[in-house]
Amino acid sequence: MKNHFIFGILFLVGFQLFGQNPNKTTIRGIVIDTSGELIPLATVMLLTPQDSQLVNFTRGDEKGNFEFKNVKNTTYLLKISYVSYLPLQKLIAPAANSVHDLGKIAIKPITSELMEVVIKAAKATLSIRGDTIEYDASSFKVPPGSTVEDLLRRLPGIEVDAEGNIKAAGQDVKRVFVDGKTFFGDDPKAATKNLGAETLSKIQVFDGKSEQAKLTGVDDGKKEKTMNLELKEEFKKGSFGKLTGAGGTKERWATRGNFNRFGPKQQLSFIGYANNINQTGVNWEDYGEFKGQNYFGNDDNGDFGFSNGGGNRVYYFGDDNNDTPTNNFDGRGFTKNGGIGSNYNFDNKKTKANVSYFYNQSKLNFDQTSLQQTFLADSSFFQNDTTNQLEFRGNHNLSTKIEQVFDSTNTLILKIQTRFGTKNGEKSTQQSFFEQNARTSNDLKLTNNNNIDTWRLTSTAIFRHRFKKKGRSIAASAGYNNSNSDGTDAIFSLNKIYQTPVFSKEIRQNNLNENGTEQLKSSLLFTESLSKKWFSESFVNFSKTKNQVNRQVTEPNAGDARNEDLSVYYDFGVIYNRFGTGLRYSYSALNISAGLAFQQLTLNGRYSADKNAPLLTDPIKKTYQNWTPNTSINYEIKNDFNLELSYAHTVEEPRLTDLQPIPNVNNPLYRQEGNPNLSPTRSHDFGINLNRWDPATFSSIGVNLDYNVYDSRISQNITTVFIDTIGFQTISKPINISGGTDLGGWSWASFPIIKTKITARINANFGINNRITFVNDLKNDTKSSRIGFRPSFTFTPNRRIIAEISGNAGITNVVYSIQKSQNQKIQNHGAAATIKAQFFKKYFLETNFNYAIYKNDRLGFDQKIPTWNASVRRLFGKKNRLELRLAAFDIFDKNQYIRQSGWQNFVSRTEAATLARYFMASASYNLRGYELKIKKNNWD
Amino acid sequence: MKKLLFLLLFAPIFTFGQQLLQGRIRYLKTSNWTKQMASIDYLTPQQKEKSAYIWGNRAEWKVYCNLFFDETRSKYEDSDEQADIKSDDSWSNRKDIFCVTRDFSNNLTRDLMVFLGKNLLVEDTIFKPKWKILNDMKEVSGHLCMNASFHDTLRMQQIVAWFALDLPISVGPERFSGLPGAILEININNGGMILSADKIDIRPISVGELDLPKKPKGKKISEADFRAKQARFFKEKRMAEEVPFWGIRY
Repeated sequence: MKNHFIFGILFLVGFQLFGQNPNKTTIRGIVIDTSGELIPLATVMLLTPQDSQLVNFTRGDEKGNFEFKNVKNTTYLLKISYVSYLPLQKLIAPAANSVHDLGKIAIKPITSELMEVVIKAAKATLSIRGDTIEYDASSFKVPPGSTVEDLLRRLPGIEVDAEGNIKAAGQDVKRVFVDGKTFFGDDPKAATKNLGAETLSKIQVFDGKSEQAKLTGVDDGKKEKTMNLELKEEFKKGSFGKLTGAGGTKERWATRGNFNRFGPKQQLSFIGYANNINQTGVNWEDYGEFKGQNYFGNDDNGDFGFSNGGGNRVYYFGDDNNDTPTNNFDGRGFTKNGGIGSNYNFDNKKTKANVSYFYNQSKLNFDQTSLQQTFLADSSFFQNDTTNQLEFRGNHNLSTKIEQVFDSTNTLILKIQTRFGTKNGEKSTQQSFFEQNARTSNDLKLTNNNNIDTWRLTSTAIFRHRFKKKGRSIAASAGYNNSNSDGTDAIFSLNKIYQTPVFSKEIRQNNLNENGTEQLKSSLLFTESLSKKWFSESFVNFSKTKNQVNRQVTEPNAGDARNEDLSVYYDFGVIYNRFGTGLRYSYSALNISAGLAFQQLTLNGRYSADKNAPLLTDPIKKTYQNWTPNTSINYEIKNDFNLELSYAHTVEEPRLTDLQPIPNVNNPLYRQEGNPNLSPTRSHDFGINLNRWDPATFSSIGVNLDYNVYDSRISQNITTVFIDTIGFQTISKPINISGGTDLGGWSWASFPIIKTKITARINANFGINNRITFVNDLKNDTKSSRIGFRPSFTFTPNRRIIAEISGNAGITNVVYSIQKSQNQKIQNHGAAATIKAQFFKKYFLETNFNYAIYKNDRLGFDQKIPTWNASVRRLFGKKNRLELRLAAFDIFDKNQYIRQSGWQNFVSRTEAATLARYFMASASYNLRGYELKIKKNNWD
Repeated sequence: MKKLLFLLLFAPIFTFGQQLLQGRIRYLKTSNWTKQMASIDYLTPQQKEKSAYIWGNRAEWKVYCNLFFDETRSKYEDSDEQADIKSDDSWSNRKDIFCVTRDFSNNLTRDLMVFLGKNLLVEDTIFKPKWKILNDMKEVSGHLCMNASFHDTLRMQQIVAWFALDLPISVGPERFSGLPGAILEININNGGMILSADKIDIRPISVGELDLPKKPKGKKISEADFRAKQARFFKEKRMAEEVPFWGIRY
């Protein structure tokens, strides 16, 4: 071959020197096989000799003749291939004449063993190098669990004897490498007997230098047959992880770390954190890596049927998201936090399994002040609260999930989650009540020591089957949920009333709260295609829930006597049945569905003073029956341009606590009564959703509108009266009220001003809520409207700088029909600037400045809070594995929590101190190295 | 006698070679999101590893595509058949228009497609990639195939094709062609996308199976202009450090 090539080049040079060659030539020949038979219809190609590029191709005729007419007269690599024959390559030199006749060219048949075993049976690739053939061993199918030795036995040309000794081409294989390295010592059988056949991508056999030659460095010419087993990329195991430690002023410290190990089918991860800088959980980025491939697609709860519009689930038992140990600090006070977790995923495409455990805890300590103004029929009063709260929360979460695909038609999902939590703390509040320009009418001091243990189990099984007929499928689900809580409250209140003479009233109360809920549920869904465009969907939902609530109140001041008015035991059963059917039209990007469901809800309540005590009232039995229509239209107007319209009639049953006949009086000034006569909330829900994304201009836009009209809504009947012996006492009782609307809109747009350099993002939202309450038996229509606007601009002049400026404006207007003069205007505005820059190659600067304005003219409130954070970090090492960082938080020392709200018949604002200025130094080590570029997100 | 035996032996190939080499090839197209990401040179290894770890086996999805052909023409488009167990029959998405028609006797291509949200009709001579023919062979769907490959610098793709030695027509899936036999398998960027013929029906072609939709709606554009458009888009995505295969066909 090599000789041919040189020969060809020489020819070429020779002919060019003499310059006698014609520009064009016709190349012809006859294809025969090595036994001299003519080969008809062979594929003949002309390639460039340098890099085998295809120049021209033709096909031989029935008699084996081929011809390339009038081709450029130059050197070619002629390639002839024919089924069952080895492809032949031949270098041909430029021709001296206008016809270049190559004569008969013989091609060699591929041995039948290779044809049958390698190509037909194993579908393996044959690589041909001259007369040598190599094949891709990974395609030899062996039963699962087979070793490499089993695989080798099947390979043509390789023999394995009973002891496992290997011969290739008749010679003993002395050494076996795995990925070019020795595998557990020198015994060649160690790898072939122990490694699984499915882990290999290639088997290479070559003549290696002898051990002697390697030791001495002198090539003794002896060659040993050596085999190299190359592992599949996916079977290469890997690990990554990072560890961070940080310390700062004001005794601030933080640490976090995670470690992940993965193989082709398995992922195992560990994560942990502890700090006193108000990070109550892990960040989303770390959480994503912790969950690995189980991060997505865990939301199927098996409640089939009309999904939008809610109300079809009797009790919401919480899901993964609620238990997600990510940061959920609300901005108040100081916390000490810690958590650890481990996650294991298995996935071999047919079976996906996940086991995950997480423990997290937080200790919270905050002081807060709030001012609330409450409007009555023709007056109003103020309430000034100072609260100190200490709280400990700790939760263990264990969840498992198995997803099994049996074949292309059957799938089963099993999910079990358990959670054990503990919460205890002490809350003390000092409340002062006064009317405008009047002296304080009463002061209430309230302390509550509480302790609660909760336990929860949720489990779901979902089975799906697809029939042979396209569009016909069935799904069935079953679930069992159980939750229990066991808690105590020790309440002390001291109410000082500034009458003449001033007097006080003290209440001590110990509450024992035991709650238990058990639920069994099941759903069935059947989908049938009626034609190519029409489908029907029918479903049945069933659930049976049993609740037990035991609240026993004793009074330590009266010798732990039982408080008969406040103690109650009740069990409460809910049976939910729903069946529905709908038609769906799906064709050409238009999906229309319309359906109707009938639902029946049966509530059964039995109330007594204590377990096994006689009933306080006759058993309450209520049955609600409703027809609920549901329609939606979804149209993809163009690619990436969607329009969705929906309507649903939603029925939502009253909450358990709203139905109880015994009031809850943990605060003597606030009495929450129940109402066993409540009927469900019924509403008509309309929605419009439009979104568009344009890949050409990198811009997107979305508009979302929701409108709910209430036929019947559960609202509060509030009675506040000034009682000389108590002060302002509020009694709240849920009632059904017809009327009320919610209108909400949200839109966003993102578009480049200069492509890849300046991007604008604009969010706008508004909401108009109309909520009716009764205040001292007077109908009060609270209309609140809010509008928010948030523009931002991002500058990315080059890869080393990202700058962003943004602003936000938010105004809420609250109008109370009973007292128009008290209408409120609450304002929250802000502006922010962020710069991230990379400099001196491995240095990074990150800084952001934020300015927030909180305003309510009527309450005379006007607060401006500037906060400024800055940090510099540097990466070290060849792989950038080490990061040192210096950071300053809240440089102006102004950080504070502020919230303003207007609701029902009051307006309030709350302020709380929280972590302000501190400086921190940190060191992090990252096994796979930090990215040598600016972080686009703000997770860390 | 010898001649008769010869005829009998090669009769099937004769008929292929003579007239009736027409029919349909169905391709199973398997796309893998994280493998597509892995071949983008300007993303950091951390980004690629993270996405591979989190997506795991969920990064893969499957669809069917059809290639109709006779000896001088071909048409390639997506199939209505569902290939993925996860797909929902009772929901209709807007299909990305993609229809490649070729007339080999006149060396013409008319390809209707959505590119960045706009309908284009690429009309030109057939673009010929510079295929390298290598010495590997394997069987795809009962046909012995040879290996060919080329590197598409524009789209950052390494393309490995397997063409059948016994189907001597220059057709292929997507916009690939120009080999001495029908392309039965394509592997782009090491599994980022694999097209593999899983059903080959040699049967008479019916009327219209090789035609574009009756009134193709799309802006006419030459191959060179189309390539320039793509080059501009890939350059912008590189600047923005974003994944480019989101909004255009891989």
